[in-house]
Amino acid sequence: MRELPPVHIPLLAEALTRFLAEELRAAGLRRWVVGLSGGIDSAVAAALAVRAVGAEPVEALALPGPTSSPESLEHARLVADGLGIRLDIVDLGEAGRAFASTLDIREDRLRFGNLLARMRMTTLFDRARRDGALVLGTSNKSEILLGYSTLFGDAAASVQVLGDVWKTHIFELARFLGTPEVVVSKPPTADLWPGQTDAGELGFDYPTADPVLHWHHEGGMTRDDLVAAGFPESLVEGVLHAYRRNRFKWRPTVIARVSSSCINVDRILPRNPR
Amino acid sequence: MTERPVERGEVPIALAQIATCPGQLRHNLDRHLRMLEAARTAGARLVVFPELSLSGYLLAHGVLELALAADDPRLAPLYEASRELAILVGLPLREPGGGISNAALLLEGGELRGVHRKLYLPTYGMFDEGRYFVPGPGLQPLECSLGRFGVLICEDAWHLSSSVLLAQAGAEAFLVMAGGPTELDADVEPAGGRRWHWLVGATAITAVRPVFFANRCGWEEGILFGGRSWAVDARGRALADTAPALEEALVTAPFSRADAAFARTLLPIPFMERLDLWRTALERRHA
Repeated sequence: MRELPPVHIPLLAEALTRFLAEELRAAGLRRWVVGLSGGIDSAVAAALAVRAVGAEPVEALALPGPTSSPESLEHARLVADGLGIRLDIVDLGEAGRAFASTLDIREDRLRFGNLLARMRMTTLFDRARRDGALVLGTSNKSEILLGYSTLFGDAAASVQVLGDVWKTHIFELARFLGTPEVVVSKPPTADLWPGQTDAGELGFDYPTADPVLHWHHEGGMTRDDLVAAGFPESLVEGVLHAYRRNRFKWRPTVIARVSSSCINVDRILPRNPR
Repeated sequence: MTERPVERGEVPIALAQIATCPGQLRHNLDRHLRMLEAARTAGARLVVFPELSLSGYLLAHGVLELALAADDPRLAPLYEASRELAILVGLPLREPGGGISNAALLLEGGELRGVHRKLYLPTYGMFDEGRYFVPGPGLQPLECSLGRFGVLICEDAWHLSSSVLLAQAGAEAFLVMAGGPTELDADVEPAGGRRWHWLVGATAITAVRPVFFANRCGWEEGILFGGRSWAVDARGRALADTAPALEEALVTAPFSRADAAFARTLLPIPFMERLDLWRTALERRHA
C-alpha cells in the first residue's frame, strides 16, 4: 500500500520559522497571538513562533468554553511554560452559555461547537487588534482537506503556518520541537464536548487518512486507483466524501464579479505594499 | 570545497541571493545596496541578482503598480553603483510601446548596457506569469567590459535550446537569474534547489560554458524560494560553495575568459547542434 512520502522535519521547522518572522516584518507588526487549546497543532504553531521571534512577542490565550476539559487547560499551561510564553486565560464559559441561549442553540452540539470556535476567533482577533499582533492559525492540511474545522472559526487566522503540513508530520514536528509528550500522544480533539475526538467524528484517524488524501489530492489517484492500491474501500469512500463535501471551506468567500476589476480575480495584489 | 583565490586573468562574479518582498520597493532596493556593498568589499566586478529582484516575484497584478521603465529615477542608486561594478538586476520592465516584461537590466559605468526579456513565462501549476507579462522577442548575449553573457531568467534555463542558441550567438558564459519556488521533501535541502543544481550543471556541460546562478530565498505571500545559488565551470567543476537554501548570501566565483575560451575550443559541442532537425520539426509542426 502506498505511504505518505516523508518530509525532512528539521528543514520544515526551519522554513516555517522563517515564514513567521517574515510575515510579521512584511506586515510591519511585532507580535503573534495564538490560542493554545492544549492540543498538538497549537503547541507546534506556538513553538515555531517562539523560534521565529522569541518568547516575549508571542501571546498565548487559553479559551475554555462551558464544556472544555480541565485537562486541556493543564496541557495549554504545560505548553506555555515549556516555551516560556505568557498564557492568559479568557474563560468563554459564561459568554458561551449566554450566546448559545440567545441563539436558542439548546442541545445542537454542532451549532454550539461552531459558535464556540467563532467566539475563540473573535477573542484572538480582538487581542491582536489591541496589541498590534497577527493571529497565528493552527489548522493543518489534513483537517482543512477533510473539512474538520469551522469556517470563520479556527479556520480564520492571519496566516496558517501549518496549513500545508499533514497531521502525520505534525506529530514528528512536535517531537522535534520538544512539545510535551502528553500533548503529542493524546488523541486529537476539538474539545467542544466531553469525550469528543477527531477520529470518533471522522470515522478514521489522521495517520490512516493522510496517505489516501495525499495520493488523491497531490498524486491524482482516483477512488478506484486507491482501492486497487490496497486502501480499504470504506476508508477511501469516507475520506473522499469529506474531501469533496468540504471544499467550500478552502476559500473563505467568493465575490460575485460584475466588473472588470473584481478583487482577487481581476486584481490580485500583494498584501503588504509599502 | 572552499572558495579558491582569484588568479590572474580571472574576475570575481558575485551572486546576490536575496529575500525580497512583493510591493516593497524600498525594502528590496535596500537589500540590493547592502549586497552591492558586500560584493564591492569582496572585490567582485559583476553582481548578479535573482529574477524580479527589485519588485519581488509574487506580484500578480501588482506589476501594474511596480513596473519601472529602464530610465526610472528610482533606479538611480543602482545606475550610480554600477560605476564601480557591473550589475545584473531583475525587474518588471515597463515597455515603451505598452506591456510589461519580466526583464533583466545589465548596468555598467552608470549606463544601461543591455536588456534581456524573459522568453518563457510559466503559466501552469502555481505559476501565472503569462497573465501579467509579455514574452521577450529573442535571445542575444549581453555585453559589458567583462565579456559576452547569455542571460537566462528562470524558466528560460529549463529550455536547453536557450543555452544552445546563446552559445552559437557568442555567449562566453551564462548568468541565470531565478525566482525558483520550492517544496520540501525527505531531502535535507529543498527539492527546488536540488533540481536547479542538476539543471545548472547540465547547462554548463552541454553548452560548454560556465554558469553563474543566482536564486531567490525567503518567503513571499506564503511561497518559499529555494536559494542554493551556485557557479560551475564548463566541465562541471564547482567554482564556489553552494549558498544555503533559506538564508540570504553572497557567493563569489571566479570567471576566466581564457579558461572559458579554451574549454569551448576543446569541446565544440553546441556548434555541432543539428539545427536542420529543428527546421524539420518546425516544418512538420506548421505542415
